[in-house]
Amino acid sequence: MKASISWLKEYVPIEMDIDALADGLTMAGLEVDGVLPRYEGLDPVVIGKIVDVQPHPHSAELKICDVDVGDRHASIVCGAPNVTAGVFAPLAFPGTRFPDGFVLEGKDIHGVPSDGMLCSEAELGLGADDSGIMILDGDRSIGEPLTTALGLSDTVLDIDLTPNRADCLSMLGIAREIAAFGNVHVRYPATHLPEGKGRLADIAAVTIEAPDHCPRYGARLVEDITVAPSPFWLQDRLLSIGLRPINNIVDITNFVMMETGQPLHAFDFNHLNQSKIVVRLAHEGESFTTIDRKEHSLTGDMLMICDGEKPVALAGIMGGLNSEIEAGSTSVLIESACFNPVTIRRAAKRLGLSSEASHRFERGVDPDGTIIALNRAAQLMVDIAGGTLTEGLIDQHPKPIEIRKIPLSIRAVNRFLGTDLDLAAAEALLTSIECKVDVLDDDRLEVVPPSFRIDIKQSVDLMEEIARLWGYNNILTTYPSVIAEARPLNKGLYQRDRAKDIMVGLGFTETINYSFIDPASCDRLQLEPDDRLANTVSILNPLSEDQAILRSSLIPGLLDTTCRNIAQQVKTLKLFEVGKIFIKTRTDLQPEEIEMMAGLWTGTREDGSWYGRETACDFYDIKGVVEGLFDGLDIGSVAFTRSLADRCRYTRPGHTAEIRINDERVGLVGELHAGVRKNYDLNPPIFIFEIDLGRVAAHIPDQKQSVPVSTFPATSRDVTLIVDRVVESQAILDHVRNADEELVESLHFFDVFDGDPIPPSKKSISFRITYRSRSETLEDDRINDIHGVLTEKLLDAFDAAFPT
Amino acid sequence: MARSIDQIYEEALGELASASDKDGIQGLSTRYLGRKGIVTQFLRNISTLPVEDRPGAGKRTNQIKKALDTQFKEALNALETPSDDVRDQIDVSLPGRPGRRGSLHPITQISREICDIFSRLGFDIAEGPEVETDWYNFEALNLPKDHPARDMQDTFFISDDTVLRTHTSAMQIRYMEKNPPPVSVIVPGKAYRCDSDLTHTPMFHQVEGLMVGENISFGDLKGILTTFVHRMFDDQTRLRFRPSFFPFTEPSAEVDILCVICRGKGCRVCSHTGWLEVLGSGMVHPALYENVGYDVEKVTGFAFGMGVDRVAMLKYGINDLRSLFENDYRFLRQF
Repeated sequence: MKASISWLKEYVPIEMDIDALADGLTMAGLEVDGVLPRYEGLDPVVIGKIVDVQPHPHSAELKICDVDVGDRHASIVCGAPNVTAGVFAPLAFPGTRFPDGFVLEGKDIHGVPSDGMLCSEAELGLGADDSGIMILDGDRSIGEPLTTALGLSDTVLDIDLTPNRADCLSMLGIAREIAAFGNVHVRYPATHLPEGKGRLADIAAVTIEAPDHCPRYGARLVEDITVAPSPFWLQDRLLSIGLRPINNIVDITNFVMMETGQPLHAFDFNHLNQSKIVVRLAHEGESFTTIDRKEHSLTGDMLMICDGEKPVALAGIMGGLNSEIEAGSTSVLIESACFNPVTIRRAAKRLGLSSEASHRFERGVDPDGTIIALNRAAQLMVDIAGGTLTEGLIDQHPKPIEIRKIPLSIRAVNRFLGTDLDLAAAEALLTSIECKVDVLDDDRLEVVPPSFRIDIKQSVDLMEEIARLWGYNNILTTYPSVIAEARPLNKGLYQRDRAKDIMVGLGFTETINYSFIDPASCDRLQLEPDDRLANTVSILNPLSEDQAILRSSLIPGLLDTTCRNIAQQVKTLKLFEVGKIFIKTRTDLQPEEIEMMAGLWTGTREDGSWYGRETACDFYDIKGVVEGLFDGLDIGSVAFTRSLADRCRYTRPGHTAEIRINDERVGLVGELHAGVRKNYDLNPPIFIFEIDLGRVAAHIPDQKQSVPVSTFPATSRDVTLIVDRVVESQAILDHVRNADEELVESLHFFDVFDGDPIPPSKKSISFRITYRSRSETLEDDRINDIHGVLTEKLLDAFDAAFPT
Repeated sequence: MARSIDQIYEEALGELASASDKDGIQGLSTRYLGRKGIVTQFLRNISTLPVEDRPGAGKRTNQIKKALDTQFKEALNALETPSDDVRDQIDVSLPGRPGRRGSLHPITQISREICDIFSRLGFDIAEGPEVETDWYNFEALNLPKDHPARDMQDTFFISDDTVLRTHTSAMQIRYMEKNPPPVSVIVPGKAYRCDSDLTHTPMFHQVEGLMVGENISFGDLKGILTTFVHRMFDDQTRLRFRPSFFPFTEPSAEVDILCVICRGKGCRVCSHTGWLEVLGSGMVHPALYENVGYDVEKVTGFAFGMGVDRVAMLKYGINDLRSLFENDYRFLRQF
């Protein structure tokens, strides 16, 4: 919402400086976003006298003018038809910023240099006339800045209004706010309607068929008008807040809307069939062309203004092409109505149409302002357009607004706000915004808010007004007295934080990627259509196609991040992310949200250095990270089992393990599938893991239990077995564990080897078993016996042999 | 006696100066201070001196014995600790074998800091779904369908009735439904709005707060938020409460803090206003209590919400909001 200071001064005295005013409005809840000197851009414009006009060598339309600007002469190329030697005209030099945002630069026009530009009224934003350059009357001081010569000085406030303050969508509304904090009174414009001729009731009629959508409809008729450009003062008012003058009738409706907040519409009365207005809902599929020449197909919940046979306006949004005021119009029916905000908003949204009128109706207009605005517009049309008023007005008011009487307890106010106001203070504050206040007793008030404050409905609304007018910063800062209580830990959050900290300790850097990804991600991950992760959730109105679905995996985000970093030559990356994935469920309610952690390692395990050569990271590096993570989370019983090739489509077959805790699958770790790498245009191997944090957290023990450590010495024995290649170390480990030999303390693999002299289908695997007792020093003989039995079992179980 | 004890001392120091290894020094120590050493002998022979000279000579000899002992020991120590000898040096400037930690995302760090401050103030921490129903995200928060206030939040729709939550305020209702008053809780998490420019990303992070009980006032709202800002920034950071509008609070207040960069003088970060908008807040609108079955007559309270990303930018001097989600490794490693 823009407001010009000079316009505001019509209604309220403004003594303070602009900064103080802007600050006052902001602190009253009308945030001033910008303070714009209206004519600042015109500073380089001066008054010039055209002394000579010569034809342009390359163009018949253009002329070359010699313009005297006092200290020198400027040569100006100009195409305006009315350039004549001897006249005074505004001359803009390079650097001029016109109201439409255009900044003038010095340049050649058709091969002839031009020192500047002779301007029209419209170009300078000083009027609507764009037919030629602005010719200044009288004898002018050559070279004088135009703003000084014409006394152009105004400041425009750009106010960011919150949607509850519909009452401030007008100059009077803002003036009222200024009056409230400036302790002055608003001067409302007085209306003196001339005696009319005829009686409107005999000439026109209004029928409201949909009173729920149109609680009030007022109309007046002005005849014998002459449609013409508005006088300068009216054009200037509209231009000052960025509205384009059109003609006197339309300008008056816009002016009154901007003055009072009540949108008006002017119909060409001669185009209204049967001289009547019918307010009804549209017929489903009915078509209608608005004044912007766009045709709309309507639905049955849209409100239409019709004449005796056809629609003439989309109620509250835009008028129709068939009844607009044109150059030859002579009779105007002025509409001033009150529409249901929801009706207008729905229709405007559905049709994608928004206007100054619909903006106001959506937020709600003053139900008692209807007739005031109607009369004001009628008077201006009589005064400016030379019209004759028809006597009487139509005021269909099927749904009068009830007067709101709101009770208010001053004690409740003080308790709620933490203030110490007395009755008189509260009364004064509420009166300053035009509330009617009755003091009932020493605590209670009865308040009737002004009709334009449709947002004030209950006592809490009044408390807000009191707080706002008293000043938030005058309310004492206090502290709540609460019961001392230690809240139980939010375990999900706590375990997530622990997991993140462990990852950081393991050298990983946290990333945060957008929750939305490219729908092509499913294909890039090679997901089959029946994959659970292919049940993605689509956004109906995405910002862009590559952000159109919610992620069902954290991997695409990490891969995109990897691509971006590799493009910056950062080739070794250890990344992780914790976030939700979204899986569509069968019902179309909320999707399943699963909190996942994913990690990615690519590049080197160790960079080449003075102490060693560069080594690439591999599967066991990322697996080690996962093991370290689970160890850090106190989860001991993690198993890694071979993942079947079809289980995960985006990891490399044979190089992927499922992560299981107590046989529950909680995630996977593996190398990224070469096909996926190709889809992301990534060359080096990439190792990833994904775990379901919720499931993992469920396995984290609530308590730790200590076990005394043995003080007796350990003894170890090394074993090397030749086994089938497919035998996995986990099986050997499980076998030893399941042997239930209590003296076995640990088993550690220290070598795996295949190749000559081991037969091709076999491999050798070496490990060290450590034995220890809790109660004695073990004798060698005893260990040898136990170890012998254990190795025999292993030979048996795995069809293994000792190396020869 | 051929030599005085002081002569012996001089000789011993001379020999020590030319001794270069451990054996040499130990040999000297034995030669002078051993059981049959020169100084020991000297001490023993004091009894042969005239009576009047004995106390002085004894005292002097003991002093020298002690001094030599110290000098020999120091010489030995000096040999054992690294010397200036280049053959015994390592290049301490070479990079160590890495055991480098990673880093938490700046948003995580700030979010934790915020949560930590409120935890210390006794607030619970709760989280909620990111895909929300229209009811929890809007309707129950006093934002009916077809209300212009919905224009304040550009919404991503999943269906007619489900949205990506536009604020973590959506959890206010869920939390109050499950917990009777009094409640004090904060809700950290992601929120989404379809808006993307220099100062907006379509996904961002918020911390929402709610405190409801008997006799909680607007003054208390100011108190809690003042404490928060002072802990988060510093005690000199002034606050300004400014009327605003949120459908779910009344009165509503924007909270500005004195620009932490220019301290109110006006700079690029605060758009030359001297103030930074960091929090939205207000007294919980009674309609919310009705929606969760709280007794409107009995309870009052306040709610607030802040953008974590913005606080992170201010705290870390991050210029470009988008860098928070581009995940440039070199950027992230700074935190």
